[in-house]
Amino acid sequence: MFEKLRRIVSRVDADYADARYEIKKETIISFNGKELAKVASNSTDGYVVRVLKDGGMASVVFTKESDVEKALRMAEENARLIAKTIDKPVRLAESGTVKDTFIPKLKEDPRKVPMAEKLDLVRKCNDIPLKHKKIAMTRISYEEVTREKHFVTSEGTELREDLVTTRLYGEIIGKDGNLTQNVRVRAGGGNGFSTVRDQEKNFEERTAIAVDLLKAKPVQGGTYDCILNQGLAGVFVHEAFGHFSEADIIETLPAMRKKMKIGSKLGSDVLNIIDNPTIADQVGFYKHDDEGVAARPTQLMKNGSLTGRLHSRRTASEFGESLSGHCVAEDYRFVPIIRMGTILIEPGEPSFEELLTMLGDGLYILDAKGGQTAGENFTFGAQYGYLVKNGKLGEMVRDVNISGNLYKTLRDISVVGNDLLLSKVGGCGKGQMNIRSCHGAPHTLIKNLVIGGA
Amino acid sequence: MEKSLEMAKKVSDKAEIYSLGYTHNSVSFKNAKLHDIGSKLQSGVSLRIIKDNKLGFAYTRNLVNRQELIQNAINSLEGEVEANYEFPLTKELPRIDTFDLSMKKVSSTQLVEESARVCDLLKSRTDAEISVSSTTYTETIRVMNSCGTDISGQSTFYVMYASLVFPGSASGIWRAFLSKNFGEMPDNIVNEMTELYTLSSKVIEPKGGKMKIMFMPNSMMALKWRISSGTSSKSVYEKVSPVANKVGEKIFDDRITIHDDPLNDKYPGARAFDDEGVACKPLTIIENGVLKSFYYDLDYASKLKAEPTGHGHRTTAWGGEPIAIKPNPALTHMFIEPGKKSFSELVKLIDRGMILEGGLGAHSGNIPNGDFSIGVSPGLYVENGEIVGRVKDAMVAGNIYEMLKQVVDIGDTLYPSWGTAWLPPILCDNVSVATKN
Repeated sequence: MFEKLRRIVSRVDADYADARYEIKKETIISFNGKELAKVASNSTDGYVVRVLKDGGMASVVFTKESDVEKALRMAEENARLIAKTIDKPVRLAESGTVKDTFIPKLKEDPRKVPMAEKLDLVRKCNDIPLKHKKIAMTRISYEEVTREKHFVTSEGTELREDLVTTRLYGEIIGKDGNLTQNVRVRAGGGNGFSTVRDQEKNFEERTAIAVDLLKAKPVQGGTYDCILNQGLAGVFVHEAFGHFSEADIIETLPAMRKKMKIGSKLGSDVLNIIDNPTIADQVGFYKHDDEGVAARPTQLMKNGSLTGRLHSRRTASEFGESLSGHCVAEDYRFVPIIRMGTILIEPGEPSFEELLTMLGDGLYILDAKGGQTAGENFTFGAQYGYLVKNGKLGEMVRDVNISGNLYKTLRDISVVGNDLLLSKVGGCGKGQMNIRSCHGAPHTLIKNLVIGGA
Repeated sequence: MEKSLEMAKKVSDKAEIYSLGYTHNSVSFKNAKLHDIGSKLQSGVSLRIIKDNKLGFAYTRNLVNRQELIQNAINSLEGEVEANYEFPLTKELPRIDTFDLSMKKVSSTQLVEESARVCDLLKSRTDAEISVSSTTYTETIRVMNSCGTDISGQSTFYVMYASLVFPGSASGIWRAFLSKNFGEMPDNIVNEMTELYTLSSKVIEPKGGKMKIMFMPNSMMALKWRISSGTSSKSVYEKVSPVANKVGEKIFDDRITIHDDPLNDKYPGARAFDDEGVACKPLTIIENGVLKSFYYDLDYASKLKAEPTGHGHRTTAWGGEPIAIKPNPALTHMFIEPGKKSFSELVKLIDRGMILEGGLGAHSGNIPNGDFSIGVSPGLYVENGEIVGRVKDAMVAGNIYEMLKQVVDIGDTLYPSWGTAWLPPILCDNVSVATKN
């Protein structure tokens, strides 16, 4: 395959070119309630070529080998057109050349587990909620995605890397009269089939939450001091802050770029944030990104001050900052864009119990369902919560949705707990889906969050 | 393709091949400067086989190994996914005009020039951070099955997205222009964007509470998803639709009429047949507030003993890769009947309220139940019939089955919503808004 990619790269009339060929293998088992809705195991493939010519950079993705000439000419022409039109040429930060092969060592290779065994495992987990009479529906899926990547640049880099992602996840939907409540269930990771085994307890706990939610009251809309559990605080750091550490987002938003200057004090003193795709055995792990740059831990915030940013080769050059190795594609259908790997709030000292005491009155809110951000504003939902009075957990509440302003909220983070936990299943849709997007945090106390009630 | 179908027929009772090819060329301007040009040339094949009423599903990109595709489908039969339906025999198709040959000749240079023109116009009138993208798209879909169906359709789309971002945020006023062929973005769209931007430049922090909310097409996605969920045969079958047994009953205000009309080729995205080869036809979902019909694909029609309505599509709420998605019921050309009031007449009807230009988190919350809770991004605040500024930190929450009973009025203009729906602004009363004050 390297030979084929070398030939493609050499046929491009450009200052720089790279070519990625990828085979993507997917196995999916999905249940809608008792019914098995889909069982399939398939393989697809395709090419992505990027071309830099006279400071203009363009890309083409294609699937048919017979399209290669046409595709290359399109990319060349578009690169020339960009070069002719823009004032400031695109440059790529130097990353050196690498030749490497990385095939992950998995704790039980999912590709070697027979389909019947997988099916049995998913069915058993799916049956747990369905046994309960208040559970109207489940949507539980098993997914196994392998990206077999081959990457060659005109600079001489040649990389072969596999990413294997396994997950067992879905929704448990409870129903009582006209009221329905859904709770998510998640298991999986980047290091093998073992991450989806022994999930019975997980499914039982989530089922109990779905059932309890049917009796919970909707939260009253308003402003609250809140403790976010690890899953929710992780989504917060990803959605509200993480995306603005992605250089390609702020590159062309001048006002935002100015605010996000390295050294700016944006958060409270207790806030330390890092993105580290090199943490072994996590769903966010990779060795090289899809530009062939080695992933490296990047401190984004230290004691509330901005210390770093996530980059592609293009933005590292544009910002004059260090490469971080965060330019990643969903698969062979996409050019890479800047993505978080494993972003996390570094732990502090206090325990969860201590946080509750510090909170006094407010809300304890848990586990995310969906999140979105537009500039300084973000919105995300919590799956459930509890009222807290005098540091004691009270009754359960439902329909918890949080909206806020990035800068205010970063300053309002008042205490960070000591119990860091990383997410097992990713899913960030910034134009492309990143199923390996990993985030984490300890329990975190945030003041003055706007909660939209019903 | 024919060969693969023949091979598939030998190992099954029924077989279907869906193939999709598309090319697209996309130019993007960011901060009013040319940023990127990307092209895609994609094709793929998806196979469904049914044997002993069980489904086998497989797909691939390059038909280099037919045997592997067939084998993957056979392996998938082991899952014993029920499939008690027939593939249709579709010979006669409604004639619709979805293809414009001139699209093939549209060059990147033309896209760059048109994008630059729109950027310059927007720049001359506002201090916004401007981004514009312009994309040409050509696709061919072919469906063949063992009943003898062999139909195909070609479509072209052109889409321009333009946005005016309030500096310091990534939120702003944006509009889309969609067409079957390349053309200039009409002045009225540009004018509306710049006017709204200018009127809402001041940030204000109003008190929360119940108020009138005008849903604009970009925020109406939150409502569209919930309406689609509630009226889908899949939700009915799964017993998660709150209106499952309300056909013939009034569920919304009199003025709400919703239909899906795939044959309406005045708008891009029209279809003569769905992704299962069923001929498309118009379907009324809600008429004057009364629930008329659910929409069906082959599978859910058979499960609910109803007729398929031609709504089997290979898509999800998120889009996704058609060849890898099993057909499921979807509305792809949905219209909400416009009213008679112009945008400015609607604004005059608001004593206190917000125009919800964009919403964050339309996908979170309890969609089957019709609940929504979305962050404003942005909301234009209105007092005594005048836009007085924009709101940044606020959440709008409610339930569509309650809110769409309290419609104040509906706008007279249809806007494209993500290429799958054409929607007018809808003004609702007594919607709850949470703010910091």
